Amino acid sequence: MRLTDWALWLFTIAFFVFMILPIAVVVVISFTSAGYAAFPIPGWSFKWFARIFEYQPFIDSLWVSLELAVVATVASCLLGIPAALYLSRSQSGWATAITTFLLSPLSMPMIVIGFASLFFLSWMGFGISFLALAIVHTVICLPYVIRTVTAVYRAVPPAYEEAAMILGASRFTTFREVTLPLIRPGIAAGCLFSFLTSFDNLPVSYFFGSAQTNTLPVVMLAYMEHQFDPSIAALSTLQLALAVVALVVADRLYGIEKMTVAT
Amino acid sequence: MSLNRRKFLGTGAAAAGLVGLNGLPLRAQTKTLNVTAYGGVWEQAIRDCFVAPFEAKTGAKATVSLGGPAQWLAQVEANPENPPLDVLIMTPDLAVLAAEGDLMDEFTVEKLPNLANIPQAFTDACLGKGTYFDYGVGGITYNKQAVSEPPMSFAAFVDRVSSGEFVASVPSIQYGPTTVFFLWALNNALGGDVNNVDPFFEAMAKMKDNLVFWAGPNDFFNHLASGEADLGIYFDGRTWNHVDEGVDWIDFINPEEGGAMTAVAIQKPKNASDLAWDYLNEVLAPGPQAQFAEILNYGVTNTEVVYSEKLAARVTPLSKANLPPYAEIAKVRNEWVDRWNREIGM
Repeated sequence: MRLTDWALWLFTIAFFVFMILPIAVVVVISFTSAGYAAFPIPGWSFKWFARIFEYQPFIDSLWVSLELAVVATVASCLLGIPAALYLSRSQSGWATAITTFLLSPLSMPMIVIGFASLFFLSWMGFGISFLALAIVHTVICLPYVIRTVTAVYRAVPPAYEEAAMILGASRFTTFREVTLPLIRPGIAAGCLFSFLTSFDNLPVSYFFGSAQTNTLPVVMLAYMEHQFDPSIAALSTLQLALAVVALVVADRLYGIEKMTVAT
Repeated sequence: MSLNRRKFLGTGAAAAGLVGLNGLPLRAQTKTLNVTAYGGVWEQAIRDCFVAPFEAKTGAKATVSLGGPAQWLAQVEANPENPPLDVLIMTPDLAVLAAEGDLMDEFTVEKLPNLANIPQAFTDACLGKGTYFDYGVGGITYNKQAVSEPPMSFAAFVDRVSSGEFVASVPSIQYGPTTVFFLWALNNALGGDVNNVDPFFEAMAKMKDNLVFWAGPNDFFNHLASGEADLGIYFDGRTWNHVDEGVDWIDFINPEEGGAMTAVAIQKPKNASDLAWDYLNEVLAPGPQAQFAEILNYGVTNTEVVYSEKLAARVTPLSKANLPPYAEIAKVRNEWVDRWNREIGM
């Protein structure tokens, strides 16, 4: 093996250690027997995982987060897929401008979106409610669906759909039998990103938090500021495990490689 | 199952209805008070000490919203006519801002009989539109294994950190209360005042090679636990909470000049439910306050409260803490932050 190969190999190992070690430390701390977060740990225990289920706001907010992520992802798909299909094929000069506009939440600081949305939606009468939260989460999730579906659909030759219609298929049949199967990896990738973006979001959810609408990240922040025990580390480990399971399931269903092509 | 147009529209309407019901603004529920709390042990203490007696006495229900003062104030500012929260827990600086913005109701003994036992200075500090109910003091927390003879004053702290005897962990400017419990307190101890913070910045320049900065309270503990720092500026109550969790190597000193009182204010937004007065009166009552103090290891403001022996040894008496001039500090805070960013940077 040449020296440059060794150097590259070492760099790759160092890079992975640099990326993974902080996460590994959090995972180890989540199993500590101590009442505070410190590393190395004095002994092993599952008590901080039990604490997650004892502290009711964690459970309540977890359900709100899951419900919200599902609603925002479904709404993003309902709005984003038709928009992406139309804008991908449009020859109009407006199409690029509208696509850029729909993707703009990606380039805005989330805290600005959250703060502005709080005042705007309050002015519209939505107040601090689950509906208001779902609207804002849809705004921030929409770009992921549009981006991934657009990327896949632009790679699909229009001739496939034209052939189906020439052979007598209606527009809806063409969409269902030809377009939808072809863009499915883009939709899956968009849904995955959308779900995880909503589920992990703090800056937007923060402004819409209430006893009924607090999401898990908001409760975690509130907990961390005034409590020192390692239950947040345990919760992070649990979230990490869920994310890994989600990725494995997505890989089995659609293949991670196809989904990464979509992005 | 076949899906015809009628079924599709019907299902859509039902789904929209469900989402809409779930999305009703919170104040649509009557006889329910929406109060606030920080997370973790704070939330449990709020429920046990204040919410439970309030519900027992009034028959009303109280929901507890977890979060932070900036979030709650923004929500009230966005909905001043129909505030989603009835009682706010606030930092002293935001309490002043909220009072100046005319967003809060006036506190009087007629509305809150227990206010009579709260020092008037605490209500005045909120411009009459709120008061303090709980307080901690910022002082010197140290690792007993690394520091055998801790500095007993802010001046000694500066001298000994400057000389390299200790590495100190101090709050960074990212942490909201830093300008008060560290900048103002140290400056005050070194002879400065609100209009002259040169003593503070000169001290920081002398100590700079032996400082690490914490962005959040948990960082401070990690600095001490990892040996990155020997001592630092922290709060009394948080130190005792660590001790109660089994950390036997940590201790706290209220500096001879007196640490800055970091208080927790309570306020009632204008147009909030009048039930809030019953709840607030409970928050200011001596019994619930004493119970609250026992859980959190922090001092409370009702002068009738009698602490347990253990807590009395821990709580810094009001007479030995300095009440920062929050309203004056609010006027110059941006200048201080600007100077901090230019000269210290963290």
